[in-house]
Amino acid sequence: MSQSLTLLAYLLIPIASVLFIPVTSWALGRWYQNGLLNQLEVLESQHGKGYGEELLVSYQKKNDTMAAEYSTLLMANVVVGPSWGQMFIMWWKSLMGGSLPSYAAVLEYGRREALQRLKAQARERGCTSVVNMRIETSVISTAKGNNSKSSSVEFLAYGTGVR
Amino acid sequence: MQPQAISLLMSNVETIPGKIILNSYGLVSGSTVRAKHIGKDLFAGLKNLVGGELRAYTELLNESRNEALQRMMLEAHNRGANAIVNVRFATSSVAAGASELFVYGTAVVVE
Repeated sequence: MSQSLTLLAYLLIPIASVLFIPVTSWALGRWYQNGLLNQLEVLESQHGKGYGEELLVSYQKKNDTMAAEYSTLLMANVVVGPSWGQMFIMWWKSLMGGSLPSYAAVLEYGRREALQRLKAQARERGCTSVVNMRIETSVISTAKGNNSKSSSVEFLAYGTGVR
Repeated sequence: MQPQAISLLMSNVETIPGKIILNSYGLVSGSTVRAKHIGKDLFAGLKNLVGGELRAYTELLNESRNEALQRMMLEAHNRGANAIVNVRFATSSVAAGASELFVYGTAVVVE
């Protein structure tokens, strides 16, 4: 009986120590990212969500654009990265395939944050709308070799603010 | 030598809103390649413990992009233009740990 328990411990300890970092990181990351998301949602409730709102459009609004008295190029960027726990899930999922909701949530957060920052800049300069808004995504960090420990994605939102 | 900061009118639509384009001076561009600071990279790597925004990178890329913009504006200024229209940004990972920030547009003279 005690022998089988020892055997079980010998099996469990390596598994637990391998999983310790990803699980801790996943839990901490979930807590931290939820906090960020809550802050973002407060901003969004104050200033609107972004897509399909009056302030931010992705077309060149001909009439308003021509009548503008002031215009400026606005840009806002944000770099986001997944937590180690999420990377671990990504690695696991890459064996089986399938969707990655936790990673998609990170990217979604980055994009919404970039939009909110663009809107904040537009307000700062007194612009009434941003026309021809574009969002660009790029992978900025591929560490040497393939053992990328800090994988991150940049979102750049830019457009022409008019008033 | 750090060039003096210039500020031209810029937009990413086909005109400068509310102004009339008088003359065009062709394509201008500016680029910068930035490698990550090893300390910052280490810190950002640790930041991946919780994920979310990596503020060090956000600032780094913002600075570099402003530098590329400055270079583009200097080129346009030297050609005698006072505005740049249809500005586009392009970012690419050119080597391990380095990215190129490229910005281009059309130099014009507006009234």
